Amino acid sequence: MGSVCCSQQHGRADSDEIEQTAEIEDRIERESKAEEHIQKLLLLGSSDSGKSTIFKQIKLLFQNGFDDAELKSYIPVIHANIYQTIKILFDGSKELSQSFSDSSRFHVSDENKEIGERLSEIGSRLEFPYLTPEIVEEIETLWQDNAIQETLSCSNKLQVPHCAHYYIENLQRLSNPGYVPTKEDVLYARVRTTGVVEIQFSPVRENKRSGEVYRLFDVGGQRNEKRKWIHLFEGVTAVIFCAAINEYDQTLLENETNHLMETKELFEWVLKQPCFEKTSFMLFLNKFDLFEEKVLKVPLNVCDWFKDYQPASSGKQEIEHAYEFVKKKFEELYFRSTSPDCVDRVFKIYRTNALDQKLVKKTFKLVHETLRRRNLFEAGLL
Amino acid sequence: MPMFQPSKKNGFLGGGDGRVLDLDTAVKDGVLGGVGGGGLGTGVLEKLDLNKMIEELNLSTVPSVFICPISLEPMTDPVTLCTGQTYEKSNILKWLGMGHYTCPTTMQELWDDMLTPNNTLYQLICTWFSQQYVQMKKRSENAQGRASELLSTLKRVKGQARIQTLKELQQLVSNHSTARTAVVDEGGVALLSSLLGPFTSYAVGSEVIATLVNLTLCSESKANLMQPSKVSAVVDVLNEGSIDAKLNCVRLIETLMDDKGFRAESISSHSLLVALMRLIRDKRHPNGHLPGLALLKSISIHNELRTLILNIGAAPQLVELVPFLNPECIELALFTLEALSSTSQGKQALKDCPKTIPTMVKLLMRISEICIAHALSILLSVCKLAPEECSLVAVEAGIAAKLLLVIQSGCNQILKQQAAELLKLCSLNYSDTMFLSKCKLTRTIH
Repeated sequence: MGSVCCSQQHGRADSDEIEQTAEIEDRIERESKAEEHIQKLLLLGSSDSGKSTIFKQIKLLFQNGFDDAELKSYIPVIHANIYQTIKILFDGSKELSQSFSDSSRFHVSDENKEIGERLSEIGSRLEFPYLTPEIVEEIETLWQDNAIQETLSCSNKLQVPHCAHYYIENLQRLSNPGYVPTKEDVLYARVRTTGVVEIQFSPVRENKRSGEVYRLFDVGGQRNEKRKWIHLFEGVTAVIFCAAINEYDQTLLENETNHLMETKELFEWVLKQPCFEKTSFMLFLNKFDLFEEKVLKVPLNVCDWFKDYQPASSGKQEIEHAYEFVKKKFEELYFRSTSPDCVDRVFKIYRTNALDQKLVKKTFKLVHETLRRRNLFEAGLL
Repeated sequence: MPMFQPSKKNGFLGGGDGRVLDLDTAVKDGVLGGVGGGGLGTGVLEKLDLNKMIEELNLSTVPSVFICPISLEPMTDPVTLCTGQTYEKSNILKWLGMGHYTCPTTMQELWDDMLTPNNTLYQLICTWFSQQYVQMKKRSENAQGRASELLSTLKRVKGQARIQTLKELQQLVSNHSTARTAVVDEGGVALLSSLLGPFTSYAVGSEVIATLVNLTLCSESKANLMQPSKVSAVVDVLNEGSIDAKLNCVRLIETLMDDKGFRAESISSHSLLVALMRLIRDKRHPNGHLPGLALLKSISIHNELRTLILNIGAAPQLVELVPFLNPECIELALFTLEALSSTSQGKQALKDCPKTIPTMVKLLMRISEICIAHALSILLSVCKLAPEECSLVAVEAGIAAKLLLVIQSGCNQILKQQAAELLKLCSLNYSDTMFLSKCKLTRTIH
């Protein structure tokens, strides 16, 4: 008798479990189905190529942007950037005065030297004080020093961030007690991305029904062991590879290689990964505005990869000519690194300036269109 | 004498399709010179003008009673037989001149060989065609005016409005020659070209290209379109577009290449060639094969571009495709392959592809002399690269018999010489008897 009662009890417990399991499996299936419809985009590129700026732009364009709290959270970063910049310039001027024969132009004036040392000391700390009007004045004085300006003109040897000019120009505003960063301020802020950040968004606003959903991943640009985790991104719809084309004359901190050569190697490596055999590649040739400024002053041939470049004209035409040359080089590289059976991958090159929101919006619209057409094509509807 | 009673059945009067000229409609349309009849009710038009109008209009919807049963063309000088059937004078005269004495449609024997001019019908035909002509002229002028309007609209609008304007303009331009002239004369080509650039959306790009292919482009416009950013826009559509859009791109590129100032460098783009190869290999749209191959042939004429074609692996792809193509396409494909085989990289690529030799051997003595010429040239290039290895493959594929056929055929001397050279090359590794056995020769040739 007892055993019968026992088995009945067991029976009830079992059926509960079975029901639960079924429910869980059902949920898993539903969620996986939903996941399938989300198109995943992976941002890749070497450090300082503008990936995170693109990431922020997408957030601004297609999500709800940054709320007040998020904006304020950038204040420490912005202030840190300012300290770091001035420190780099001051230390740089000392370094250059030692390595150049006409070192006098890098000699900071005596009054300013003291300011420089103090600021440099602050800049090497891990935490920075809030910008006070006194510190702002000191920074501005130091900035006006000829030596610092000279150092700035040699910025290709140092790692002077691009935001330098922008922040120094806006110092007064940035140091106000009630300062809330603007969108532009946030876009210029430089912080090394660690780990992976992602956002989910839908680019279609007018016609909500056909809203495709994208999930954008930004993995930092450091030279870490990419090969260990890159395969986790197999099956992404597209890789957005950012290459800062103005860096052709800049050398890297770590090992003295040319920035652009590093980008070239990375691009080659990514193209050859088996996990990306069917992935579309969108190449963003970024920082075009800086490229425009530089290419007329610094010839492309300083970069080994571009050593066969012949300038053809001048002014605007020359900029276009130089850009087309760089674009062609990347195209050649792509096709060299692509095996014949991968040749059907979507591959498009876009000229971008990540800080220009309108441009990023236009560019992304085109990317979206291409991906959509690709889907239709693969579904046999085109 | 038996009188033939014409049947009142529909469609008997004047031809097959049953479209009898309805009297009510005819009066309404004014063809019978009724009220508001296009203003040409009384004009007597010369036969010559009528011929001109018929030709220009080239309509397919001419009322069946106007059509001559013999030639199925509209009549310009209708005459009626004694049986009551009406024919074009020259046609029925030819019929009677051949010795027939019957009415072609009723098969009756004619009791009277008089041909009565059918003036009534003639008047109707003239009036109807004049009306159509006037309407067409009006539409053309409208088209011209509309085209001008659209061009000015295009300068102002953006977004969806721009796409709609472009669509209408493209329709207009493809249907009316007056619209085409208007667009070209008013700087429309430059305006359209300016819409192609790095940020051109697919919708805009495809319509612009579809419009441009219908226009005559001067040398300057062509040079303008050959700018790298514009070529990129065209290549993008060639890569992503519908089959019609792709065909338009191919046509446009052909036009641009057909210019004195053309520099091969402007189309030296991997993406272009990849897109072209994709079109050529697309099994779902066979109508793209011929235009695609024709363009590829034009491209392969330029030395500098051959390396590019080889770099994207086109050689083995073409070789594999050849057996599935129709004769016209094969000729084009072979031309390209021969052009590629003139470079050392090409020779190597062709040799490395295992299907080259068997495919070429199969083509000998098939299709046409041109194909034979190409195939022989390719085989020579490849075999000379590695004579021992290649001759083995070639002989196994049955080249010997084919070559002998070529030598004995009615082909021109040069081909025969080439065939003989190739035969010699292939036979070097074999003893005479072995070779002959490989040839599978019949006793007579033996």
